[in-house]
Amino acid sequence: MTTKKKRSLNIQNDRWVAIAADSVVDASKTDASDPVFVRLKNPATDVASLYLFGSGDSQLYEVKAFDEDYHSWFVGQTVQRDGRLLYITPMDPLYLLLPYLIKAVKEGKFQPIQQLVMDEDFPACSRLLSCTQTQASLHHVAEEKEVGSQRFHRYSQEKTMEWLKKKVDKTVKVLKKSNISVGGGVKSTTYIRMKQESDAQEEDYLRYAHGLISEYISEDLSKELLKTLRLPEISSPKESEPPTKKRKLSDKPVEAGEDYTKFNSADFTRKSWGSGISKLETHFASIGTGGLGIGKREASIHFHRNVL
Amino acid sequence: MLVNSLSEPGAWPVETCFNAHATKLKVEVECVCPRANSNTSDWKPSWSGQRTMDLGDFEADNSVSCRLASAIPEVCRSEDCCLGIDEAGRGPVLGPMVYGISFCPISRKDDLKNMKVADSKTLSEVERETLFQKLDEAKSFVGWALQILSPNTISTSMLQRAKYNLNALSHDAAIGLVQYTLDCGVQLKEVFVDTVGPAEKYQEKLSKRFPGVEVTVRPKADSLFPIVSAASICAKVARDHVVKSWGFVEDLGEVDTDYGSGYPNDPKTKSWLQKSLDPVFGYPQFVRFSWSTAKTLLDTRAVPVRWDDDEEDGEKAAARMHCSSMLSYFSREKPGGSVRETHRFFSERRLQSLDSL
Amino acid sequence: MSSNGSVTLLQLGSVVQADKPQVHLLPCEIEQDGPAEVSRYFTSAVKDRKHEMSVSFRGRGLKGQEVSCPQAYTGLVLKEDHKPTTDQEDRTVRVSSVFHHFTYWNLETQPTSDDAVVMAMAWPELAEAIHGSVDDR
Repeated sequence: MTTKKKRSLNIQNDRWVAIAADSVVDASKTDASDPVFVRLKNPATDVASLYLFGSGDSQLYEVKAFDEDYHSWFVGQTVQRDGRLLYITPMDPLYLLLPYLIKAVKEGKFQPIQQLVMDEDFPACSRLLSCTQTQASLHHVAEEKEVGSQRFHRYSQEKTMEWLKKKVDKTVKVLKKSNISVGGGVKSTTYIRMKQESDAQEEDYLRYAHGLISEYISEDLSKELLKTLRLPEISSPKESEPPTKKRKLSDKPVEAGEDYTKFNSADFTRKSWGSGISKLETHFASIGTGGLGIGKREASIHFHRNVL
Repeated sequence: MLVNSLSEPGAWPVETCFNAHATKLKVEVECVCPRANSNTSDWKPSWSGQRTMDLGDFEADNSVSCRLASAIPEVCRSEDCCLGIDEAGRGPVLGPMVYGISFCPISRKDDLKNMKVADSKTLSEVERETLFQKLDEAKSFVGWALQILSPNTISTSMLQRAKYNLNALSHDAAIGLVQYTLDCGVQLKEVFVDTVGPAEKYQEKLSKRFPGVEVTVRPKADSLFPIVSAASICAKVARDHVVKSWGFVEDLGEVDTDYGSGYPNDPKTKSWLQKSLDPVFGYPQFVRFSWSTAKTLLDTRAVPVRWDDDEEDGEKAAARMHCSSMLSYFSREKPGGSVRETHRFFSERRLQSLDSL
Repeated sequence: MSSNGSVTLLQLGSVVQADKPQVHLLPCEIEQDGPAEVSRYFTSAVKDRKHEMSVSFRGRGLKGQEVSCPQAYTGLVLKEDHKPTTDQEDRTVRVSSVFHHFTYWNLETQPTSDDAVVMAMAWPELAEAIHGSVDDR
């Protein structure tokens, strides 16, 4: 009875606690039909994930769960064992359409979009075409041709990369305004050594945003986007060179990594991460300028894990 | 480690300096228990007889530990004093444990003896009340102080991640009280302590903590030394009052108060525990959840509740918290077998995709 | 072949009847769904001193913090009154409760902005960046 295990998966929930965009509920004030939860193919994992169509299919939402072990809810005078908190947030339907467009491009021809977006495993996918955002932004990822009253589309990698780059830029902007710590991840020295300190942080933001966008695209597209962003690829932390390698590049002692993952502020205020990180960046920058004087693209790439 | 940190002055949530001014029968007390609006005159007696001990400060918030004290007799600041320590309510599954001290000039030991103070356990409730009243009347040379460890303090301390056992709690309470009298300027020379545990170790601990004070730890000290008897009467009277008129912090409405003495083998207590059990919450804070009596009832009759530190000690739990392979937990297996890691934004926030409602 | 064809309808008409209860997130798994005497035993015992909330549950000390739903977001409790017998059938959930803030409780530790549940509140803002339309220029 007291054995430790995760909540068993076969428990049948009949209640969920969620936080949803107001637009989901506001639709009740219109004549639009009720929202529906559907299962669609997750573009990053190729397996089924849960989404929601709202306002008569005109808006797509993603459903995520905050899920920490050992939690339960009290809701009014009731207890709910399942301590998850669902987030229902607006989602760009193009991410879900891209795999279908890419699959069809192999045939090389323009096709009516309705023909491209069909999937017997995920029949709800055709609803994506009803989304307002789909109609307004399909041209970001596909070339369009109009013949008579019919429109035809063909996936364009070039356009898609431009679009994804804009997505990254937009995300970077929001990240910069937020208190989210983007430092402390894996990064390359090559990028930094070409630039000044501020650009070193720029790489953190770019990589972070790239990582977030990559949650919604295939691995291939993710790698392609990395190239477009001119960020050296880091396939996995294991393949990056150990920190000792980095020391050889610099005479300066490497500062002991401060732990940026923790700041237990008792006052419950959010803090800016800027000052602490920039100290570390300065150090990286110094590694860079003293290093190899080769252009960025030709440079042999040195990786290291920053902190942690 | 914890024991030490708690035995430091100020570790108890108690203000060290007391503004004790005694009035006729009521003993003005100071207490840490933060209270928005305490009005001790609101107090309604729930038993017959005079109430000579004002427990209002503890009753204002009985979920925390609280110190109550008499005024310090002036003579105790100038003459060498002896001090007795005893506890009341160590065994019960209900209500607080009370640590009591009593002190007087060594020269007045006989006066105390003549008051016929005796081990509180050998006295009836009425006799204890009467004796406490006598002690209060002797306030020109007898002082006392109490540390009331609320049942909630006992439960949460004993069950906390870094376990804090009852002995440590008791010792810290005793040490805190002795330190308090020293801080108040009492010329302490002799300390007599009643103990249930091994006397030598405790004596050593106290002697070390209070150099210059002769410490005697002795089983049954409450029947051997009048000053310890006095302390035991103060502690017992306080415990009895608190238990009898327990103000449930919960909003229980009509509550069955026929809970007996609170000892696990008292039939009244037993049956009260049986019928008061709530399947989700278990019991009100009046019950010591850390007592095996309560634990057993909860294990067998209440809804199972699991915590992240179940069945492991604090260190292990901490290690697990840090090392729990967040990455493996959040990495997703692709049909092809390759694994794409979830971005740390999501893993750090414990956010995951769902595949169904 | 799969159950992906079935959908779950979210009945919005139910919102008007939804109650507005107090909502608490506890740091333990309570193996129970259903009625509980929350106000009798729990909310009545919560101490709020200088914005530090504390209470105990089953003899363990909890420290709490109230968090608000992100701007333009509403808390919903969804309830499925009848479960279909097969996974091919459509399902229906209604909104049984609405909330705008809730209290989360840590086991013994003081809540901070590092707590995952607080950090997760940043998600909607970032989701807007990832999913909002990009400039057409």
